[in-house]
Amino acid sequence: MLPLIGKRLLATIPTLFGVLVVAFLLLNVVPGDPVAEMVGERADAATIARLRAELHLDEPLPAQFGHYLWGVVRGDFGRSYITQRPVLGDLADRFPKTLQLAGAAMLLAATCGIALGVLAAIRPGGAVDRLSMFIAYVGISFPVYWVGLLLILLFAVALRWLPPSGYGGLAFLVLPALTLGTRSIAFLARMTRGAMLEILPSDFVRTARAKGLSETRVIGRHALRNALLPIITVLGLDVGNYLTGSILTETIFSWPGVGRYVLLAIERRDLPAVQGSILFMSVIFVLVNLLTDVLYAKADPRVAYD
Amino acid sequence: MLRHLLRTVNLFDTAKRALFLCFLAACSGRSGGDQTQSLLYYETYDPRSLDPALSTDVPTGEMVTLLFDGLTQFDPDGRILPALSDRWTADARGQRYVFHLRPRVNFHDGRPLIAADVKRAFLRVLNPQTRSGRVWPLLPIVGAADFADGRARDVRGIEVLGDTAVAFTLTEPLAVFPKFLAMPVAAIVPAAPSADFAQRPVGTGPWRFVEWQHDDYLRFAANSTYWGGAPRSESLTVRIVPEPLTRAAEFLAGRLSVAEIPFGETVKWEREHPDWLHRKPALRAIYVALNNRRGPLRDPKVRRALNHAVDVPAMLRTVWSGRGVAAAGSIPPALGGSDAGRKPYAYDTAQARRLLREAGVAQGFSVQLWRSGTNVELGRVAQAIQAQLAAVGVQVEIVSRDASSMREAVRKGDTDMAVLDWWADYPDADNFLYPLFHSASFGPGGNYSFYSDPGTDSLILAARRTVDQAAREALYRRIDNRVFDAAPWIYLWFPVDLWAAQPSLDGWDVPVIFNGQRWTKAHVAADR
Repeated sequence: MLPLIGKRLLATIPTLFGVLVVAFLLLNVVPGDPVAEMVGERADAATIARLRAELHLDEPLPAQFGHYLWGVVRGDFGRSYITQRPVLGDLADRFPKTLQLAGAAMLLAATCGIALGVLAAIRPGGAVDRLSMFIAYVGISFPVYWVGLLLILLFAVALRWLPPSGYGGLAFLVLPALTLGTRSIAFLARMTRGAMLEILPSDFVRTARAKGLSETRVIGRHALRNALLPIITVLGLDVGNYLTGSILTETIFSWPGVGRYVLLAIERRDLPAVQGSILFMSVIFVLVNLLTDVLYAKADPRVAYD
Repeated sequence: MLRHLLRTVNLFDTAKRALFLCFLAACSGRSGGDQTQSLLYYETYDPRSLDPALSTDVPTGEMVTLLFDGLTQFDPDGRILPALSDRWTADARGQRYVFHLRPRVNFHDGRPLIAADVKRAFLRVLNPQTRSGRVWPLLPIVGAADFADGRARDVRGIEVLGDTAVAFTLTEPLAVFPKFLAMPVAAIVPAAPSADFAQRPVGTGPWRFVEWQHDDYLRFAANSTYWGGAPRSESLTVRIVPEPLTRAAEFLAGRLSVAEIPFGETVKWEREHPDWLHRKPALRAIYVALNNRRGPLRDPKVRRALNHAVDVPAMLRTVWSGRGVAAAGSIPPALGGSDAGRKPYAYDTAQARRLLREAGVAQGFSVQLWRSGTNVELGRVAQAIQAQLAAVGVQVEIVSRDASSMREAVRKGDTDMAVLDWWADYPDADNFLYPLFHSASFGPGGNYSFYSDPGTDSLILAARRTVDQAAREALYRRIDNRVFDAAPWIYLWFPVDLWAAQPSLDGWDVPVIFNGQRWTKAHVAADR
């Protein structure tokens, strides 16, 4: 397993380089001018030209990219044009908060989603199945911002049980985690149900029952374990998405995470901040994918990597 | 089967219990206690910095205004008041100003303020290495432009007169210069600011810096030795709350002292909480910039026709929830120089058609109307205009782009028409004429309609040089009238801001200009 991980990590270097090149080119192709965002609504041409020179934006693109790459290699993601703070520091400041929200949402999704899916599969067409189907429909079809605002109205304004938004203790985490997790709960429940329904009629499940194993053991150890592969795939994708910031949820709940940072950076054409964030997110994605692959092998010994 | 059903029930019980515990924890975890007496304000996004030199946007400017003082300042109604300078004199032409410093003013770290600090602070803003994007308020000073370009080592026009006064010599007379000095970028910072000054600022302002959690909140404490008297409240917390509907919820939950009412909610709040609402005409104009250099829009008759073709009162009522006053000119009614007697262009499609016929485009034409995708309300305005212009044969294609792309296109003059708003930097009619209609302000300077008229140019400059206030305002009326006739815009309206304030909040008023509210008189009454 270890050589595999090492090899995969090495293979990420060209991937990340590719991401950097594409991000850099895209940012230079899209309309919008970082200097215009630095000077605000009213400025004179001389100031604009001076800032452009200060930021080396008047140099040819390959030279600009070279500067940037050289910085990244030395672990320097540069400073934001807008705030003049180091990009890496800003990301390090926000990532733990995103991690917290993603962790809570995933915990919620994994426990509720898988449990609902398993329960639904035990009695297809039964009450639990119909309930899980309902939750799935609601979760998948309602837009995140709508669910978020409704939750705020109910729990924060009408009932006053929880704060509407902001970052702080557990109380602040409940609503955004619920909002973010709902989609995953819905998707995971349907996924688990489908996989379980395929597995349950299998010979080995019948054998397990015939051996006299308890139903819990049959479902939990034999059936569920075999249904895990698609579940891990979905979880892996969601974790990747959540860890790179959930712009809508973070905006509605004033959560100081990575998603809002990136959004603001893009809006203001803050090139170092956008590039740094993209690189950071790519690293996260690559790592989560690697973890997912390792988990595949753990869950199913038949999966072997060369 | 029974066993697993039982287990199922158990599982639900466990889940239920866990959820209940969550709520319990949540309720006890609410940190409402320390917030009841504190002032709670908000910004829509994290300020750029707390360094005055970088204050190019509203959140940064507002935070700088809490921490620092300029030589002058504005009150909530936009009147200019003394600040670090308690009196100033100008020569007869308005070209040389002497600002006398208020005695015994200290920075938050105890250092006394001296006149040399003023010069150092301004040089710091002009220094290219500071990368300040907003140097224009200081550029009228003799030698400032050369210094900013690295062609001079000093700014000749700033003279330090002992410890207690500073004199400014300007390249030409400028009556509004004292107002420029109230802008956040001209705030006075201490000598040799520390490396983390932008994160841990030290000023002379009514509030001292306590803490800044990025994208979350900023915390300030009252400066008990403030020269203008200590603020009435002990602390001020400024939260970062990006979503308007969340802000309304935060206000209702008592976690914000004030909140701007979201547009869609206007009627609801007016009906349910009329006594919480505060209204104030804003120094702000909503307009459509017509590119005076493109196609049929070059002809003033066509531009006047477009003004007659849109039903501004109806639009104001429907898409803007009635929160504004129809514009007859570009100078907001609250400013000297606006002409209350001038009537807006009347909604008259027959007149519009006649003008189009006279201009030789009776068959109509096609234009693009740009809007920023980030501003929902202005987007609705664009749709309304599209529908109304279609009625007189003008085909409008709406181009929706993000704010940055749109700004670039507008500044380059690549758009036919663009829905825009203009916020005052300083409360003076000059701020609604020089940037918007002088030909030296083309593009980035603010003249997005590329309106060019030598007569207007010279009148605007003449007004800037006029020291006598009444004569200056008369000139502004004349200029506004002249421009209004040429119709470089579709004149829409001047917004009226609508805010809610907690009934327990006292001494707060909606400011007409972003840096007009310093929260010194605001106070939360104990349990009402």
